[in-house]
Amino acid sequence: MNAVLPSPTTIAALVKIGLLVGGLMTAAAYLVLLERWIAAWVQDRKGPNRVGIPLTNIRLFGLGQPLADGLKIILKEDFTPSHVDRVLYNAAPLLILAASLAIFAAIPFGSVLPPLGIPGLPDPVPFLVAPGLDVGVLWVFALSSIAVYGVLLGGWASNNKYGFLGGLRSSAQLVAYEIPLGLGLLGVVLAAGSLKLDRIMEAQATSGVWYAFAQPLGFIVFLVASFAEAARLPFDLPEAEQELVGGYHTEYSGIRLLLFLVAEFLHMITAAFLIVIMFLGGWHLWGVTGSAAEVSWAGALVRFAILSAKILGVIVFFMLVRWSWPRFRFDQLMNLAWKVMLPLGLANLVTVAVVEEYRPWLVERLGSSGAGWVALALPWGMFFVGWIVAGLLTPSGTDNRPIHTHGPLDAEQSLAEDLVEA
Amino acid sequence: MIAALLPTGTTPLLAAAVASGTVSLWLLLPQAPGSDWLGHRRGALGLVLGVAALAALAWAGRRLGGLGDEAVFQIVSLVAIVGGAATVVTRSPVYSAIWFALALAGVAGVLLVLGAQFLGVATIVVYAGAILVMFLFVLMLAQPSGLAPYDRVSNEPLLAAIAGGVLLALLTTSIGRLSADPPACCTIPSRADAVATAPVGPAAADALAADPLARLGRELFGRHLLAVEAAGLLLLVALVGAIAVVSRGEVAEATRKGAS
Repeated sequence: MNAVLPSPTTIAALVKIGLLVGGLMTAAAYLVLLERWIAAWVQDRKGPNRVGIPLTNIRLFGLGQPLADGLKIILKEDFTPSHVDRVLYNAAPLLILAASLAIFAAIPFGSVLPPLGIPGLPDPVPFLVAPGLDVGVLWVFALSSIAVYGVLLGGWASNNKYGFLGGLRSSAQLVAYEIPLGLGLLGVVLAAGSLKLDRIMEAQATSGVWYAFAQPLGFIVFLVASFAEAARLPFDLPEAEQELVGGYHTEYSGIRLLLFLVAEFLHMITAAFLIVIMFLGGWHLWGVTGSAAEVSWAGALVRFAILSAKILGVIVFFMLVRWSWPRFRFDQLMNLAWKVMLPLGLANLVTVAVVEEYRPWLVERLGSSGAGWVALALPWGMFFVGWIVAGLLTPSGTDNRPIHTHGPLDAEQSLAEDLVEA
Repeated sequence: MIAALLPTGTTPLLAAAVASGTVSLWLLLPQAPGSDWLGHRRGALGLVLGVAALAALAWAGRRLGGLGDEAVFQIVSLVAIVGGAATVVTRSPVYSAIWFALALAGVAGVLLVLGAQFLGVATIVVYAGAILVMFLFVLMLAQPSGLAPYDRVSNEPLLAAIAGGVLLALLTTSIGRLSADPPACCTIPSRADAVATAPVGPAAADALAADPLARLGRELFGRHLLAVEAAGLLLLVALVGAIAVVSRGEVAEATRKGAS
């Protein structure tokens, strides 16, 4: 093989990158339209329905809106305030977008293609940019923690107190919710025995039990944590418009603002991908896709369509939640992360570990179907126990009074007593 | 390994690279005003020497397989080295932290190129993703009104540069001295031996042979179980200690306020 010409594997990877980036950017544009439609539907409005094909009167239900929105924001004046730290101000949006896109190197967007028979290209070709990466889940985790830099630096470099507060809030929130997110991931990784996301989907397809059913507690913890990681309502404190103008991107305008907004949308899409792949069976649907490693062209398309449909469903759920829930307060957010989600995630992890450890023993005693039922019953028992305990023990989330942690030693109280004595 | 594959003529080149790197670091380190006998030419001279050192190191190093591998390796190691040097040279603490993050990303890239995927990604997760974000957090909150004097100058630029140079020279020569097969006392057991001696069933051995990550896990939680558990316990104790210190501080402050 000539060293200068790229190998078929490289060409395949480049083609996949092209398809993925093009698909993601188009999807992000149209998901904005979908979000506006859903918002309008929830609020009993009509929503954007006028922009159709340019220079004609054809409206097409407003499907031309993303083009108009995109052109508008790109053509806006790209104003750089004089008080910013220029290098980091320019680098932050690029960094966050690059990290959000690079995550998709390890995320499969379908099953596999049928054998193509191209020399030098190992068959079957997976719908995955980096099939050789053994640590896919960790890669996703690492790059989503890099995205924190974009937010933190954008807020700091803006040299604006609202932007800085937004950046601080956001990074504290992201760091705090990475832990329950990781615990949710670990349960799935433990059950599937692999860090590769395509293997995790295969494991669910082979057993027929999606991990949302096998690990309900882990699913809830992961779902809540991924809402927080994507900074969607009820966790959108980083850019709470009523308090912080626009949060960490207050000082940005034009195309750099667009980069931030696209990166945020990509975070939501990533979260939807992960929820579907890790807990909702990926491309698997009972009685439709089967679980064979080899597929026909129709089978590959059906699997791709099922995966996309599930992801769209999760994204619609994200958008409906946005219009159904009020925002958390910051202390409620942190209480939820450290006092509720962390213990629940640990309980889920221990349950999964116990189930997986004793599964061979159970199969020996009860047969394979009996063992399957016990392996389902234990996590569900833990789910209800965990739910009740968390509900009984956690501090009330609506209590607005200041928290007195040190009772008798509290400064104000003893000061008041001193005054009374005097 | 490097020396075994190199013609002997590169040793002076490596020595020159190390020396010029040391001088460049000394020139570039932020100095107190008044000690400048080179004036504004100091930075330029340091940059030239640094680039020369990097070029010599790149030229003397061992070639990897393909052109793509070679190019990626050179780029990520350049990022790591330049990031590391810029971390100590920069005056602003926030920029230092960013450069350090870049250096870590370069190191992670080198590990990925060499096939140590878990180590590479774990470096990003643990250092760049968690520890350094905390650093940045504190740095950004600490000095809202400009830099403190102790951030603007390096305390012992000469000694620091010499220490770095000596470390670099030692590492270069000791890595260069390693022959293709190390002495029997220090042989690392091969993977096949480790799998064969580990008390696992045949199916497990097959699974281990297929997946390097599973092998790493088996090593960590088999042979090094005690060390892993001890490290975990140590971290837990440190966590509890930190919380104890913080809450005692709060109690003490509350008592002081109450008493006054």
